[in-house]
Order: sequence, then structure tokens, then C-alpha cells
Amino acid sequence: MDVKTVQDVAKFAHLALTDEELEKYCKDLGDILSYFELLNEAPGCDERGVNPIKVEDITREDEPKVIYDADQLLREMDTYDRYVRGPRLS
Amino acid sequence: MSSADTLRDLKRINEKYQMFHAMTDDVDAGDSKFLFSAKDNLTSKDMETCAGSRILEGYHPVFDATSIEKLRAAGGKLIGKTNMDEFGFGTFSTNSGFEIPRNPYDLDRACGGSSGGSACAASVIDDHVSLGVSTGGSICCPASFCGVYGIAPTYGRVSRHGLIDYGNSLDKIGVLSQKAADLRKYMEIIAGKDERDPTSMVQPDFDTSYKKMESVAIPKEGIEGLSKEVESVFKDAVERLKSMGVQVDYVDMPSLKYAMPAYYILATSEASTNLARYVGMRYGHQEGDHSLKFDDYFTEVRSKYFGDEAKRRILLGTYARMAGFGGRHYAKAREVRQVVINDYKRVLETHDAVLAPTMPFTAPRFSDISKMSALESYKADYLTVPANIAGTPHLSVPCGYDSEGMPVGMQFVADHWNERVLFSIAEDWEKQFDLRRPEVSI
Amino acid sequence: MKIGLECHVQLPTKSKMFCSCPTEDCEYPNTYVCPTCLGMPGSRPVLNRQVLVYGIMIAKMLNCEINDTTWFARKTYFYPDMSKSVQITQYDNPIGERGVYYLDGKKPIRITRIHIEEDPGSTKRTADLTSLVDYNRSGVPLAEIVTEPDIATPAEARQFLTQMIGDIKHLLQIPADLEWEVKCDCNISVGTERVEIKNVTGLKNAEKALHSEMVRQIAMIKAKKKIVRETRRYDPDRDVTISMRVKEFEDQYGYIDEPDLGIYHIKDLADSIRISESPQNMIIRLSNQYKIDGKMAKQLVNTSMDLAELFEDVAKEFDTASAIKWVAGPVSANWRAMTERDGEVDLSALKGFIRDFTDGKITDTQCSIEIKSYMTGVDASSMQDESAGLETLINEFLDKNPKIVTDYQKNDKAANQVIGYVMKQTGGRYSSAEVVETAKKLIEARF
Repeated sequence: MDVKTVQDVAKFAHLALTDEELEKYCKDLGDILSYFELLNEAPGCDERGVNPIKVEDITREDEPKVIYDADQLLREMDTYDRYVRGPRLS
Repeated sequence: MSSADTLRDLKRINEKYQMFHAMTDDVDAGDSKFLFSAKDNLTSKDMETCAGSRILEGYHPVFDATSIEKLRAAGGKLIGKTNMDEFGFGTFSTNSGFEIPRNPYDLDRACGGSSGGSACAASVIDDHVSLGVSTGGSICCPASFCGVYGIAPTYGRVSRHGLIDYGNSLDKIGVLSQKAADLRKYMEIIAGKDERDPTSMVQPDFDTSYKKMESVAIPKEGIEGLSKEVESVFKDAVERLKSMGVQVDYVDMPSLKYAMPAYYILATSEASTNLARYVGMRYGHQEGDHSLKFDDYFTEVRSKYFGDEAKRRILLGTYARMAGFGGRHYAKAREVRQVVINDYKRVLETHDAVLAPTMPFTAPRFSDISKMSALESYKADYLTVPANIAGTPHLSVPCGYDSEGMPVGMQFVADHWNERVLFSIAEDWEKQFDLRRPEVSI
Repeated sequence: MKIGLECHVQLPTKSKMFCSCPTEDCEYPNTYVCPTCLGMPGSRPVLNRQVLVYGIMIAKMLNCEINDTTWFARKTYFYPDMSKSVQITQYDNPIGERGVYYLDGKKPIRITRIHIEEDPGSTKRTADLTSLVDYNRSGVPLAEIVTEPDIATPAEARQFLTQMIGDIKHLLQIPADLEWEVKCDCNISVGTERVEIKNVTGLKNAEKALHSEMVRQIAMIKAKKKIVRETRRYDPDRDVTISMRVKEFEDQYGYIDEPDLGIYHIKDLADSIRISESPQNMIIRLSNQYKIDGKMAKQLVNTSMDLAELFEDVAKEFDTASAIKWVAGPVSANWRAMTERDGEVDLSALKGFIRDFTDGKITDTQCSIEIKSYMTGVDASSMQDESAGLETLINEFLDKNPKIVTDYQKNDKAANQVIGYVMKQTGGRYSSAEVVETAKKLIEARF
């Protein structure tokens, strides 16, 4: 695991790392991933599951419902004129 | 100790053990039938919910998690939200953004994790039931370290509506208590289909009637790497099981050693997507500098409020998901999950449960934990992770004490949906076992 | 030049894809929202069954192979309008794959895949450039249709989109005049390197963006400059594409399975869904099945699917010649007048007139008049005179200009000369369709 890779991954994950953190995670991830090489020798399996049990065909009908009071949902949010405030887009 | 006593002393109890993050100010139990607490990653309407993370500080959900809603409907009073590793990321509850719960048997030691506060509350407070959540062993591990009974049911048995996600294909809500009978009693309340969680909708009826556990299989892989003391306590416990008429066989389960890496790949991959939503908008801390470009703003908030282990797991999970980096790991881990499930199914065709110690050692001291590397603490989960990756129900019961009086637990793993044999063995075991309560002085 | 499109269309459900919030427009921001579409911790998705149904319908229309089992994936990317910073979409095993759609009934455009996914919210900028986010749209269902790079020109891309959108609107019973936003990612390579233009809104802009990028790439190649494989965006005001400077790595989404929903066995559902024929397919089929000119088939279908159905009805009950003579003739000519009238018209009554004609009870001219009278509601006897007047007028003109008849045999546009004359003489008393109809009949009688 090299520093450049950890930097790239951190950027993608939207984390800014100090030099100290970068060094630490670089070592930790290196140790962890080399141990995980163990997976290469594990047997494979053709079954393709998304969950450990079979969760199949669960849907709901297309019926619009308003369950929550929107004002309650916005109560703790930073808003302006009911819009949720956020950072610059560009 | 009555409910009134508990409520009166709650703040002082918490000062000593630090099991709760948010807790009730009520001193009157009103007409409630029982008191309960819940891990802080379960949303609660009237109590701040942070999942152990500073990034969610000040968040008051508008809805109750289904499990909390059901306990309240059954007459329960929620007295506190229990401290935990941030988002469930840990084995000792030391990776919390807030308070670290202390072991009721020795305040210098950890409660285990990540439902450490829940195990602590269940151990310390009389007549108390606490909701825990297990992703990779987070109910059984602290149950074992704090000397209580804990059950994590089959994946999908309890609705995850209102659970702040760690790994959605792994998370399970369960119960911790000093009393074996409480597991059945409260699981009956919180289990069941819930249209708000599709994964809860496929479960068969919850049969909790008594069914004696006739036989257990001990995998060779489950008794390797144990501390001397755990090994010896477990050996005695197995003898006692035999004397109770349980047949004990030793088997090979070669897939178990692959469960730990597969678990960490799946869990952190899912976690890194679940934690992507915490960007300093909509909930939790929102006070950042909006004049920054969104990428920089999100990065600033996330870097400031996520803790060390959360960052580590986000990095690991993000790496594991990316094509060109670890993408192949994710696909292989998914296959290994099936291999482990098939291994359990094979053994459970001829046995009621798979048995091993819950943890390879007793509750460690905080000073020792701080010296452990990340990999070392991940490796400590090798006994609890297989059942969790397989989504099979598992139970930890206190089975003895080491020379320093610290509790040792053993873990039974049953087949999908077969929780009833776990309730039954817990109750049968309780009749034979002399539970030592911690000395609680406040 | 190769062009491939990734086209996003909204599916007309009443509630959102993963929660019950209404999808209708709302005057106020953040009103049709709930914990799920706001991405609040602890909330979870539950799939709206109708989204699967619509997805399967489109997959069938595009002649895709429909997967027996389908599931969802998480696509992670950070943007203020994406409430979970994760979009629930499909990655492996989408609803449909390997389809083909015929442009103008002839040119095959291969369809790579069609999948379903949720829309993000919407953003606007304040004066100080910070964002304001409305999550009313968050969780509205979309279908994404991906083509192979089989499209040859920007104009063809627009033609493809127009035709396909028309067909999808008909399929999902979206009113033809409803404004229905379509967003595209457009891939284009003039030389060997491919450039993606992200998030272009509207069909016209898709053509313009592709054209502008094509011009840029041609200029680059002429100047012997290297075209970089990259993602660009289109600025409609300046009519240029601009590099988004996204690194290869950042362009990844790190897809994983979505475990909150499980999997869906859609074979039985797909087998049970019968889709109505798309206008485009009907044109092709009519033309092949009845051996009629493509133009006539197109004219019938584009006038109305009901008219085209009547054509088939008459062809089956009588014969193709009758259908051509009467349905493509006077019925088609009077269709518009009929739809502009109040009240319902029973189309099956028209077959009565045709029956009378084939039984020899009425003449050719009488049948035309009965049809017109029935469809427009104008009294037949007055029409008889008018019609006679029209025929006389045309015959006089043809007597004076016999060349029209010979010209017409080479090109039927020659009949248009008659229209100009008649219109001038009568001051527009007859509809042009009616004049052409009568003129053709009289010209053909002189062969």
C-alpha cells in the first residue's frame, strides 16, 4: 500500500488526512490488506446472493402517501425559505 | 432495585460506568411495565441519537426505530441510549466519539463492543433489558466480557427500520440481559415483519416454544488461539453440557478462517457507502463554511468529526470497492459468505448448534487495548464473525470466570430462523450455572 | 463517426421509487419528502412495484432480453442534491440487456441495457453562490437507456431520441403534449478517442452538443492534435463543450450490491406484461404486412393509432384494397375534421358504408360522400351537389391539361397542380385533402 493510493482513496472518500494520519493509515491498510490476501486461497462459490438469507420480490404498491410532516423533518435542518442550505456548487 | 430506584440513581450509576450517552431525566417510571435501554444507533424520537459519532451530535430523529417503537408499545420505558464504538466500528467500545463504558467487574477494563454500553447496562442494572446491534459480533462479544446473556437473531428477524446502518447485509438487532428468560420474552416483542424493512418480510413465523438442544458441534477452528484461562473455563463448560445430556462432537469447518477477511471487506465496503451521507448537511453538524466548494466543504466536515477508526474503515471500504484497486476483494468476499453459510448448513444438518468460546480472551485492560494495532483488534473477532457473516442466529451465555474473576462466555450458533434452540439452551444452562453478579456500589 | 447515448427518462408513477412520497409537482420546496428520500439515518428503501413494470415495458419495447432475476446497486458520489451521497441504481443484472431499436424502421440501433434508478434532488444557487437544495424530486424513478455507438450523426441522434421518446410516451400513456424532460449523456468519437458530454437536457440540445463537439474534434484532428478521452459538459448559451477535468479515478463510483432491497425474480411478471405496439413498430408492420408504401403507413399511424387500427380492421373484414381505397382515402382525409367535432363518432359505422359499396348498393362517389357526411356531420345531399361541382371542376381542368395524367404516372406530386387551381376557383370551399383525394381518383380513372 503506497502513500499515493491512500491519498487517492481519501480524496474519493472526501477525507483530508494529516501527514501523520496518512503514514498511519498507509501502514495499517498495508498490514490489513496483506493479511486479507488469505482470501485468494479461499474456495469460490457460484451462488450469487445479496443477503445472507433469501430476500426476494418484496415491493409495495404505487400509492402516494404523506406520512411525515415536512416541517417536522426540516426542524433541525439549516434552511432558507424551505430550501436546505448547502455549500457552493462550483 | 426497583424502577424508581434505578431512575433515581441513574445519573450516579452512569458517572461510574458510562454506559449511557443520552438518558432520561424522568425520576418517575409512571405506568411503564419495564425499563429498557437501546444502543445509540437505534433512532429514538425523544432522545438524541448519534451512533457514537460526533458527526451526528445534536440529531433528534423524527421517528422511533421499529424495535424501540415495539418495546414502548409493550409498556417499556426507554431510559437511555447506550455508548458504543462509532457506528459500531470496534471490539471494545473504545472507538466512541463520546464516553467509553467501563467493565462492571473491573473499571480498568473494557466492556467489549460494539454494544458495550448495552452489555454494561444489562450487567449493572437490576431487571434491565437492553437492545444491542450485531454486525460482526457486537452483541456476543460485550455479553461475554460483561457476563450477561446476549442473542443476535437471524438476519431479517428484527426490522432494521430506524437502525443507523453499518453493514446492511450484516446488521442484526438483538437483546442483552442478566436473565436467560428475557431473551425469549423481549425477542418475541421486537421480532416480526415490518413493511418499512424489506429484509424483515421474508421471515417464517417466530416459533419460540421449548426445544431441547440435543447436540453441538465444536469446530476445531473455534478452539485455536484461545488464552489458557478461556481454554480451561470452556473445557469445564463443555463437560457440564455433556452432563446435561447434550451430545458434543468435534468437527472441521475449514471456511471459518476466511470469514474474518471476508467480513471486513463486506462490512467496510457497505459502511463506506452508508457513511457517505454524513457531509454536514441535513442533520448533525451543519455549521461549516458554505462559501467552500462542496467537495471541500464535505471533506472538511467529515475530516473534523469522524473518529480514527471510522476513517480507517471508510478508507478500507472505499479501497475495497474501487475497480483497479481492491474491487476483486469485494466479489471474492461475497462468494466466501456463501461458502461459510454452506459450511454451517452442512454441520447443522446433524447438530442443533455450533459451539465455541465467544471471545479468545476475557475483557482486556484499556492500557492493553491502546497498544493493539488495528489488525490485531480485527483478528480478535475471529470467533464471532463467522456466524455474523452467515446471518445465522447466535447466543452468548456466561460459562465461567477466570482467575481474576472476569467472565468468560461461550457462543452457540444455530441454523437460520432456529432461535428456539438458543432460547432453550440459555434457560437450561441458567438453571445449572452460578451467575456471579458484579459488585455494584455507587 | 460513432455516437452512443445514455438517455434518462422519468417514469410516470404516482409515488416515488423507494418511498411513498407523491411525485407530482409541488409549489413549495421540500414538501413531498420523508426520511427515506432525505437520506436520514435509519431510513430505508422499499421498491415501488410499478417501477419494475414500467422498466420491463420499456425493455420489451426496445426488444431487450429481460433478465430472470434483477437487483440493485449503490453508486456512490458526492453532491449536495444527492441526499445519501449514494444513488440506488442497477449495475449487474439490470432489467434488460442486448436490445435493438430500428430507426425509421430500417437502421438498427443496438441497445446495450436499460435499468431503473432514482433521481437526485435539485439545486439552485444563491447570490453568494452557496446552494439551496430541494429534495422534492429526490427518489423520483427514472429509466436509463444505453445504446451502442451505432448512431452516425448528431442529426441522427436527435431523430433517434425523438422517435424513441415518442414511442415511450405512447407506451407509458404519457400525454403526447406533456412536457417531459429527457437528459442524456452523449458519447462521441470522430477519430478513435471517445469523449463523453454529460447531462445534456432536451433533444435539441443533445443534437447541438454533439454537433459542437463533432466540430471541435474535427478541428483537433485537422490540426493534428490529440483528442483526450475525457468528460465534458455542454454550455447551450455559448454552444461549446467544456472539459470537466475529471481524473479517471474520480470518475469511478465503486458500485456494490444494495442489500436493503434483496433480489427480484421478474420472469413471470415480464411474461404477464403485454405491451401495446409502438407507433414506430406499427408503421413497419403495416407496411410489411399489407404491402403498402411506408409513407402511407406512416401517414395512417401519425394521423392516429385508431385510424391505423381501422385500416387493419377493414383490411381483415374486406381486403387490403378496400382499406387503402377507403381508410387511407376519405376516412383519413376527414379524420381531422372528425376529431375537431364535439361528441363521439362510432368508427364501426364507417364499415357499413364500405359494405354498401362492395355490395353494389351505392356508387363510389356516394360512398365517399356518406363517409364524409358521417364523419363531419354535414348533410349528405348538399354535399352531393358540392361533390359533383368539385368533380366537374377537376375534370374540366384535366381536359385542358392532359399532361398531368401522364406526369402523375411518373410522380404522384403532379396532382398538386390540381389543388392550386381548384383552391383558386373555389376560395377554399373544399379541404386540400378532399381535393387531392378526388383529383387522384379522377386522374387514375383516365389511365
